[in-house]
Amino acid sequence: MGKTVIPFGPQHPVLPEPVHLKLVMEDEVIVEAIPAIGYVHRGLEKLTETKEFTQNVYIVERICGICSVMHAQAYCQGIENLMNIQVPDRARYLRVIWAELHRIHSHLLWLGLLADAFGFESLFMQIWRNREKVMDIMEETAGGRVIISVNTVGGTRRDMTPEALRKVIAVSEEIKEDMMKLEKVFMADYTVKHRLVGVGVLDKNTAYEFGAVGPMARGSGISQDFRTTGYAAYGELDFEPVIEKDGDCYARTLVRLREIYQSVDLINQAIGKIPEGEISVPVKGFPNGEVISRVEQPRGEVLYYLKGNGTKNLDRLRVRTPTFANIPTLLKMLPGSQLADVPVLILTIDPCISCTER
Amino acid sequence: MIENAFDISKELLQIEAQDSKIKGYRFVTATCVDLGNGTFDVLYHFDKNLELKNYRVNVKKEEELTSISNIYFSAILVENEMKELFGLNITNIAIDYGGHMLLSDDDLNSPMAKQQIVIEERKGDK
Amino acid sequence: MFDMIGSIFKNLGSKPATRMYPFEKREPFKNIRGQISGIDINQCIFCGICSRKCPSDALAVNKAEKSWEIDQYKCIICGLCIEACPKKCIIMDDQYKTAAYEKEKSKFIQQSAPQAEKPKQE
Repeated sequence: MGKTVIPFGPQHPVLPEPVHLKLVMEDEVIVEAIPAIGYVHRGLEKLTETKEFTQNVYIVERICGICSVMHAQAYCQGIENLMNIQVPDRARYLRVIWAELHRIHSHLLWLGLLADAFGFESLFMQIWRNREKVMDIMEETAGGRVIISVNTVGGTRRDMTPEALRKVIAVSEEIKEDMMKLEKVFMADYTVKHRLVGVGVLDKNTAYEFGAVGPMARGSGISQDFRTTGYAAYGELDFEPVIEKDGDCYARTLVRLREIYQSVDLINQAIGKIPEGEISVPVKGFPNGEVISRVEQPRGEVLYYLKGNGTKNLDRLRVRTPTFANIPTLLKMLPGSQLADVPVLILTIDPCISCTER
Repeated sequence: MIENAFDISKELLQIEAQDSKIKGYRFVTATCVDLGNGTFDVLYHFDKNLELKNYRVNVKKEEELTSISNIYFSAILVENEMKELFGLNITNIAIDYGGHMLLSDDDLNSPMAKQQIVIEERKGDK
Repeated sequence: MFDMIGSIFKNLGSKPATRMYPFEKREPFKNIRGQISGIDINQCIFCGICSRKCPSDALAVNKAEKSWEIDQYKCIICGLCIEACPKKCIIMDDQYKTAAYEKEKSKFIQQSAPQAEKPKQE
């Protein structure tokens, strides 16, 4: 049988960001997929070498428009490790609260996009309406909607008042309630299940071998959540990684749905335990040496490699973003699936292409 | 400063990667650092139970480095990236983009490497 | 299949979630980062700390000329300059900057007589 090559992307209704895939097809079935990236490469890693290490926080935040706060967190934690800075307790808790708010907003965004990908427009609108509540609370507490710039080397830049903390709890509980209602649509709707169950199955061993991270790995039954190592204040909070065993698109959707509830729970716990006190410590001196810092983002773990040379500039800053690690698994999932499933499959890795290319 | 970092020669890299795979390590990523003296440090990070293990390979600019993508397929993207952005000579990558994964034809070669920037400035003076 | 019906009927009866934006604006939150709208130039001592702290090189301070200049289209509104300013004279506005046809810089020059600030277009 003859083979056809179908180009998928860089512009496609389902893709928020440009990625190109060459799909080699036999009839309707994909036999090979070759990705092409490089449409939004910005050279941010190089740019960080010319800026001061304190200014780099604002550059790394701009690597990703969805998980910006975790990028800054990973970077700050790395520099703090390097310079032996003890961050105040309150700052560690505030970082957790903002990070979890970000996780909620990222997962809601993704669920909405997924609903859009299989053509369920009203579900998409409902979910994004809920997401707007998180965006508002972020704007109110941090001063920005997405790139909230709250992390700095040595702590956080803003504090939350008791009223703000109460509002965060109220809004997150509200989101939880709303999502409980919409959850049924994802879990029981015939069309939704038809598009997701059994599509793009990635078994546990393959996922591990191809280096899947985040919800991709957890959807395949790998208990891998970097938060369990207890960075920031996660060590003092009680939670278990969300795991689903099936490894298909449906399992990955459920993982992300349940992670929203988990985040709400973590926010409640963190606000219950947050101590009073300072939010940042002054930073003296310059970083020297190498360090690797890892943080769990909504899409998986991010790795920062930082090398300082005792001056205000860093020698090297390297970011390995979660999508970068998940693209090989996508290449593994695509062969053997139907062309009609490709949009949903690409979306379930939660692609963030500007993260990938930096 | 990095915990669990081992300096190994580039010949040993394949063996260590194979060994890590058998022991159940996950390939995280690789990092290339230009040391500024014509050599590069390439760090390969592996992970098991959220503990990192790092192998540091020191290669000269012209030296060949054999890809580990035949052992860990997920190394294709990062190895292509290092090849393009630093001009490392990595051979035998499972999917080799030939220097066109991120860069187009008229871009400067290996833009992240330290020497290249100087050459670019000289070009500008002409 | 009928899980969505409840939400749909609820939406039919309730008010829209969106606003008629240009005509109806939401009250901005307190302390949000809208834009760096300018500087109280008579208080400025031209130390230049803000321009050195700025991650995006959007500020230019000239001590000889007694001028302070901001490129609002380079500014990323991180607020570092406001934190760093020893006189706390940089002004953060809670309104976002709207789109424009041309990029322009706003320059503020301190003159010997007070109340003499002059936005100049380039």
